[in-house]
Amino acid sequence: MRTSSVGDSILTCAALAIPAWSVITLIVAPLLGGHPPAWTATGMRAAFPALVGWILSGGVVGAALPALVALRMRRKPVAAPASEPAAEPTRVVIVGGGFAGMTTALQLEAGLGSDQSVSITLVSEANALLFTPMLAEVAGSSIEPTHISSPLRTSLRRTKVVRARVNGVDLEQRRIELRAYDGETEPRYLDYDHLVLALGAVSNFFGQENIRRVAMDFKSLTDAIRIRNHVIALFDRADRESNDAARRRLLTFVVAGGGFAGVELAGALNDFARGMLIDYPSLDDAEVRVIVVHARERVLPELSPSLARYALSRMSERGVEFRLNTRVADATSTAVMLDPAEEIASHTLVWTAGTAPNPLLEKLGVGRDKRGAVIVEGSMAIAGHAGVWALGDCAAIPDVISGGTYPPTAQHALREAAALARNLISSIRQQPLTNFTFRSLGALCVIGHQTACAEIREPLTGRKILFSGVFAWLMWRAIYLSKLPGFERKVRVLVDWVTELFFPRDTVQTIEQPWT
Amino acid sequence: MDVVHSRRLVAGVLGGLVGAAIVGVLPSGETLSPFALALAGIACGGIFAALLGTRALGPGSSLVWALGYGFLVWIVCCAFVSLGGHSDDLRMPMIDVVRSRFALLVAIVLASVVVGISVGFAALDERLEARRFHFARAVCAGGFAGVFGGWAFGKWMEQAGFFPLIAGLVRSDSVSVGVSLHFTIAIVIGASFGLLFQREISGLGSSLTWGAAYGIVWWFAGALTFLPLLLGKEPDLTYTHAAALFGSLVGHIVYGLIVGLLYAMVDGTWLWLFERSDPLNRAAEGSGTIALSSLWRGGLASVVGALLFSIVMLQTGTLTRVAQIAHGTTIFEGFVVHLVIAAIIGASYGVLFHYEVLDDLSAAGWGAVYGLIWWFLGPLTLFPILIGGSFTWTTAAADAQLPSLIGHLIYGIALGLVFRDLERRHLARLFVDERLKRRWMRRQRPIGTPAPALWLFFLGTGVVLPIILG
Repeated sequence: MRTSSVGDSILTCAALAIPAWSVITLIVAPLLGGHPPAWTATGMRAAFPALVGWILSGGVVGAALPALVALRMRRKPVAAPASEPAAEPTRVVIVGGGFAGMTTALQLEAGLGSDQSVSITLVSEANALLFTPMLAEVAGSSIEPTHISSPLRTSLRRTKVVRARVNGVDLEQRRIELRAYDGETEPRYLDYDHLVLALGAVSNFFGQENIRRVAMDFKSLTDAIRIRNHVIALFDRADRESNDAARRRLLTFVVAGGGFAGVELAGALNDFARGMLIDYPSLDDAEVRVIVVHARERVLPELSPSLARYALSRMSERGVEFRLNTRVADATSTAVMLDPAEEIASHTLVWTAGTAPNPLLEKLGVGRDKRGAVIVEGSMAIAGHAGVWALGDCAAIPDVISGGTYPPTAQHALREAAALARNLISSIRQQPLTNFTFRSLGALCVIGHQTACAEIREPLTGRKILFSGVFAWLMWRAIYLSKLPGFERKVRVLVDWVTELFFPRDTVQTIEQPWT
Repeated sequence: MDVVHSRRLVAGVLGGLVGAAIVGVLPSGETLSPFALALAGIACGGIFAALLGTRALGPGSSLVWALGYGFLVWIVCCAFVSLGGHSDDLRMPMIDVVRSRFALLVAIVLASVVVGISVGFAALDERLEARRFHFARAVCAGGFAGVFGGWAFGKWMEQAGFFPLIAGLVRSDSVSVGVSLHFTIAIVIGASFGLLFQREISGLGSSLTWGAAYGIVWWFAGALTFLPLLLGKEPDLTYTHAAALFGSLVGHIVYGLIVGLLYAMVDGTWLWLFERSDPLNRAAEGSGTIALSSLWRGGLASVVGALLFSIVMLQTGTLTRVAQIAHGTTIFEGFVVHLVIAAIIGASYGVLFHYEVLDDLSAAGWGAVYGLIWWFLGPLTLFPILIGGSFTWTTAAADAQLPSLIGHLIYGIALGLVFRDLERRHLARLFVDERLKRRWMRRQRPIGTPAPALWLFFLGTGVVLPIILG
């Protein structure tokens, strides 16, 4: 009872007596007496004295209520709320602010509600969750960079976000070591009761130091922004370059890797670069080359062969070149050397050809698979280390259906996070854990302007349904827009997409490039 | 006793005296001597000022408090007359006693207006600093809202041939003069709504309901009292005459709803553009996200109420009529259409009332009020239009829709309570952070606003008038 005076209380109770009359006198009482409800005009007029009685009774009850409430409060002081934080809350520390880590934190918040007996801390090197499926569109200047990133502190309401890089994990002492910042001499430590490892993956250059030094990475927002600015800078340089060979070198872009990331980036770069030519009258379309180098016999190995063929054909029509069954053997700042032997004169090599779990895992001293991912149980707990969990790209989670492990994709990471959060809460509340099971819903890949490939799995039969072209592209946009975290981000991206329909893509350079 | 409280008390007593004079002057059927009437007026005004005067933040809130209080006084009078009055009254069924005391209701409402506004002005200085008041904004936004409200009300006046009667105010019988006068009055009343309620309006929902209550007040004051007086006739305050003007009552309510909603939208847009868009004041989730999530929760919350309401509709055989909106004929089609409409109304409730609901009681109060609003807007107004006919604001049409009135009340209460529960769960998570809680609380309707009086006056008159006038 929050009304704070007798007057409020009288009028509130008198007002609510009117619907009470309509329910009890007109419906419940006649029905209990074996009569039809008295909700007709005649019935309501006959029951009018009861309405007056209800309103007056309501007023009387309302007049007495504050006194009764005060009396009760005097006799029985209000107990402390159940959700009052305990003296020592259970500390959950999540390491990694990608899909897996962020979604785990969100799911924990939802599952715990107002229960403050558990504290959640998320340690992340980035201050935002990057929506990687749209990263290629940032590199291709279709979407403003920040629109596909959701700030962790805005999205998470009760989770403490710590921006730091993890230096090490002491599983015995149950604490993690955060790398010292500039100016700090000593590392900081964070104690935990439950640790969730969601460290993600890093690019794998397979020990090729030259390539690591020369190639541009394509994993973060900064990488996408850097690629976009690099392309703009090279166009500006090519515009004033009189030597044909030098100009072609500047306008040749090599993408290593023909998986989702590589193909989507190549498609976006191809559209961006060829679309920009209109502003550079001295440059010719034939001088622009976007080349995908892929080690296997077909691109997009995650999709069905027919879709891969479709992607290859459509992208070739739009000017993308492919080198299949070919590896990048070496690279300099001006050339990319391939195996079988070929040298491509280019200032641009973007690496999407391989990933490996975060190197921090090597220091943990826990079991890892061939890929380097931490071996976990079906519940995602690490065997032999109570309260330590792992998920996402850095975890090898057993798939009881296929007998292998679940693939390191965002789609799986999101589901794993929800399951892990449930298990973690169950573990805190000493309830039984459940094993993670999930069947992929399908995969989608944009290969160029209004063109995509989609492979959707029928939920009942498991049969794959294939889509390509504009419809698949619309599916891609609809599905990923719905998956983009945060309503505000959805609106911003939608506005970007609509703007792109009517206006040219933005070619403003936002990072200054060296004039070399 | 402080100065302001004394001033409120004096204003209440004087307002009560003026109110007693109104009761005495109008043909209210009251047989008390002038002295007894004056004493009753002083007592009622004084009790009001003592009991509820501290809640009068300004003339608007004080007016609403007084209306709720006045309605309760009228119910007490009816009960008193029915139980211990004249022998004639004792022999009559209570509905007839109440009908015979309809003129007293008119007089009490007018007296409440005087008492409420006078106490409100007496209390104004105390709170003036706390609430900024923009005269021009109140007049412009209110007048703007009045134009649209007047347009909707004008549809009924055109249908009922009322414009020549209005033109009689300037000794004319021209329709165009009547239309011009009607819009002028609509603008003036709209502007007065802004002047009275600007300090109180915190959300669309409360403004909508205040507008409806204000419309009812103007039915009592305008159509029943001042219009005949200005036309040089004695006001006919019998219930039969009021029943003949039932269409005008619904028209005033629809006018008030539009004025209340539009005023709050214009006023809210101003606040949103120049105050709430300030990053220092913004809600953590952003108004777009809050509106969308309220839409979703409102739509979801409507399910329980819609199912309960559908039982009433099934029993009264109205589901097949509802199916006609989608050119259907079966009960199932009617049920689907009903669920869709209920979801849309539920979603609108979420957007309109998400800052108004404080606890379960207020959830039930606002829900019942919103359900009643949709009885006037739905079966009496929009439904006949949607099935290709014209609205009929008559007591006969209202009589036929009385079962639906009960269904709307049940739907509204269920909607309000379920929405409150969904909102509570959402906010529990948000409020773990005290800063977010503080920001939300700043926007929420504070305790002590005249919402209880509004519920009683609107629910009371909204339910009682269709029953006694039929």
